[in-house]
Amino acid sequence: MAGQKPPPEPHGDDGPPPPDTGMGMTAVSYLFAGMLVWGGIGWLVDHYVGTKGIFAGIGAVVGAAGGVYLIVRRLGA
Amino acid sequence: MIGPSTVLAAEFPPSVEDFYLPSILPWGAHDSYWFTKITVLVWVAVAAIIIFFLVSYRKPQLVPTKKQWMAESAYGFVRNNIAIEMIGPRGINFAPYLTTLFMFVIVMNFFSIVPFIQISPNSHIAFPAILAVISYVMFIVVGIRHHGFFKYLKTALIPPAPWFILPLLIPIEFFSNFLVRPFSLAVRLFANMFAGHMLLLVFTLGGFAMINANAWLAPISVVSWLMTIALTFLEFLVICLQAYVFTVLTASYVQGALADEH
Repeated sequence: MAGQKPPPEPHGDDGPPPPDTGMGMTAVSYLFAGMLVWGGIGWLVDHYVGTKGIFAGIGAVVGAAGGVYLIVRRLGA
Repeated sequence: MIGPSTVLAAEFPPSVEDFYLPSILPWGAHDSYWFTKITVLVWVAVAAIIIFFLVSYRKPQLVPTKKQWMAESAYGFVRNNIAIEMIGPRGINFAPYLTTLFMFVIVMNFFSIVPFIQISPNSHIAFPAILAVISYVMFIVVGIRHHGFFKYLKTALIPPAPWFILPLLIPIEFFSNFLVRPFSLAVRLFANMFAGHMLLLVFTLGGFAMINANAWLAPISVVSWLMTIALTFLEFLVICLQAYVFTVLTASYVQGALADEH
């Protein structure tokens, strides 16, 4: 069975194509990853410098921006 | 298996302790968890899947029998709608693994709504975690074999972007691709099964707690038990959806590892 050819049409069944779960999850994970990584780095900077959270805030915003940029580049048309 | 008397005796606010079932070995110590209902269910799932597919394909016929049709539908669904849909023509190579994964997850999940069993091994993080580790190692190995080590790291970590934003983006890529992925795979499945079991416990035991507290609350208890039945159907939806999502995400990660730069 593993040696069979794939069906000529993209969907073997008549049902609708599955929702693109993979893409949605990737987008969400980029956004969260961006905020967590740079927010975390900012938090470490805060800890080191002695400020109360300004760098964590800036980091989270910058990270979210980076995440959005990545989503557009990787998943956008 | 919980008889009514033990249900009545169970404490009402269900806790994590309800997931640690006692050892079923008669000679086991009180806090020995080496062989519990969970262990049995895992082996039952493995055996059921192996036996079902072996029996279904023992004498394959051109006009399939009912069993053969069911097995072929399961395989065909994963092969055409997940493997080929997500990965492309090379997806056929991964279809056997993806089908096994799909069947294993769905059977393990399904235990959570089978009457008298009603707990899924996947409500313990260990089982989803191992499945996620397998998927994680697989997509990395596939990527390295397809591209070579450094080229794979380059495609996985360096997005198409101007050089001055790269220091900002590479940590995000690394975190998202190599740290979040296995974690979110495992936690998504585990949390869904855990929450589903907890929800059913709350409504079942809550009914008993109310009827024990005051006989006038009996009608509300009945409503609570009817809710349990409704939630069991919801749980069935979650079971199928989570098995599907786990498989689709694994396929999507493999696809990402095989993708060429664009």
